[in-house]
Amino acid sequence: MIRLDQLAKSYGGRPALEPLNLEVAAGEVVALVGPNGAGKSTTLRILTGTVRPTGGRAFIAGHNVVTDAVAARTHLGYLSQRPGVPATTVIRDLVELVAAVRDVASSTAVQALADAGLGDRLRSGIGELSGGQQQRLMIALATLGPVKALLLDEPSISLDAEGSEEVRRAISEARTGGAAVLFASHQLHDVALLADRIVVLVQGRVVAQGTVADLAQAAGIVWDTSPAEPPIERIYRVLVSRGRKSAAGRLSLVREDAA
Amino acid sequence: MTPTLALCRFELSAALRGRTAPYFAAGFGLAGLTVALVGLSAGGVLAVQGFARTSVSLLELIVWVVPILALISGAVAGADCHELEFTASLPLRRHAIVFSRWAASTLTLGAAVLLGLGSAGLVIGMLAGSADGWRYLRLIGVALLVLSATLALGLWIGVAAHSRFKAVGVAVAVWFALVIGVDLAAIGALAVLPPGEAGPWLSVLLMASPVNSARALGLSLFHTDVVAGPTGAALRAVLGQAGAWALTAALIGWTVVPLGLAGRRFSRSDL
Repeated sequence: MIRLDQLAKSYGGRPALEPLNLEVAAGEVVALVGPNGAGKSTTLRILTGTVRPTGGRAFIAGHNVVTDAVAARTHLGYLSQRPGVPATTVIRDLVELVAAVRDVASSTAVQALADAGLGDRLRSGIGELSGGQQQRLMIALATLGPVKALLLDEPSISLDAEGSEEVRRAISEARTGGAAVLFASHQLHDVALLADRIVVLVQGRVVAQGTVADLAQAAGIVWDTSPAEPPIERIYRVLVSRGRKSAAGRLSLVREDAA
Repeated sequence: MTPTLALCRFELSAALRGRTAPYFAAGFGLAGLTVALVGLSAGGVLAVQGFARTSVSLLELIVWVVPILALISGAVAGADCHELEFTASLPLRRHAIVFSRWAASTLTLGAAVLLGLGSAGLVIGMLAGSADGWRYLRLIGVALLVLSATLALGLWIGVAAHSRFKAVGVAVAVWFALVIGVDLAAIGALAVLPPGEAGPWLSVLLMASPVNSARALGLSLFHTDVVAGPTGAALRAVLGQAGAWALTAALIGWTVVPLGLAGRRFSRSDL
């Protein structure tokens, strides 16, 4: 459903994302993790068409996100780190716009908002909502209509425990509904709980990918899968540290070549 | 409802909630009434002057004020396009986002011009009679054409500049160039070119700026070569009665081309 084929992005010659291959099947949940500047948001934004790749191709439901962008986005639900609309935007206007472009009845959209606990805020401006309310609004809009690919960039940011639970529910429902879900997060416990596969990115490069057990093995951590809580933070630290060393090694090699 | 139409409705709703349009309407209404009232005071007469005199006096105000307002509004709207990450992730073409912003601004500011000058026109009509009222109506048409063109130009500037601050700075510089630069070029052309050959070049220069096109189109309402100046007179000599149509086409071109360029630029931009 989502396919990245040697997808790459650089800014002024500086690579933000090195060629990345990834497939997310219908009903599958894949998480992108990594420190800031790893290329997680860049990957998601290329898929939404808001950033143009400098190499490779990406597809959503078989549609190339660059050459067939509108068709690709027809199947896409996206939650960005910021609302991505002016703060003065009235919620009802935004809901009606999303309903119209996704071909969903306005009443259905309003109901989705009520389900998110924002039924009484239709006349408010987005800037009048708290950070958590804004996040709930944008999640409700991202999952509105027949979404085949759901992209979420830091979905639990600004949310309290109840809001985080709603995010987990939204991801589970999207998975059950047959959507391919790709999300970026620093919330490693959510990642371990929700994701079928995890991709660890460091400085634009994939360090490891697979299930938690695969990552534990890659990190050289012995993990008996019987305990409920996997040592995800320890696995993450080892892999990120290894990725940073590898990136530093590449950089010094480049410098030696240049010298 | 098509997605583009839904987007236009969304942008229009946002533009109508803006605070500036009512001030513009009040400003244009006051300007119209003031010009009508003080126009005859230099001759020692305190009376409301009719539509013909008021239209001539208002024309200069329109070709100076409308473009600066529209260029700045368009530049801000264009720069803000880069903040629309959510809208850009919807199944909509980037061109449609730029077009809807232009349409919403044109409708809102156009309504402000129409409301302001229209209400001033009603007062003038009641106090000074309706003679030459059609000239006043056509003057409003010229204001709407130059508004549409300079809004499109402003949007292109804003989309290319990315930041609001830079966009407004460039918009003001472009306004100076359009208002003064083309006049200076015309003076230069008159000084350099032999008198018989200047006409076609001056006509082209007239269309090289939407401000000058609007001024010449406005003056063509009065059928006088004296007030039209050298470029207007040259246009009449070269194109005759078709000059007004050529100027209208130039203003429409000044809307369509920058709008297309803004859409193209935005389509290739990272947000």
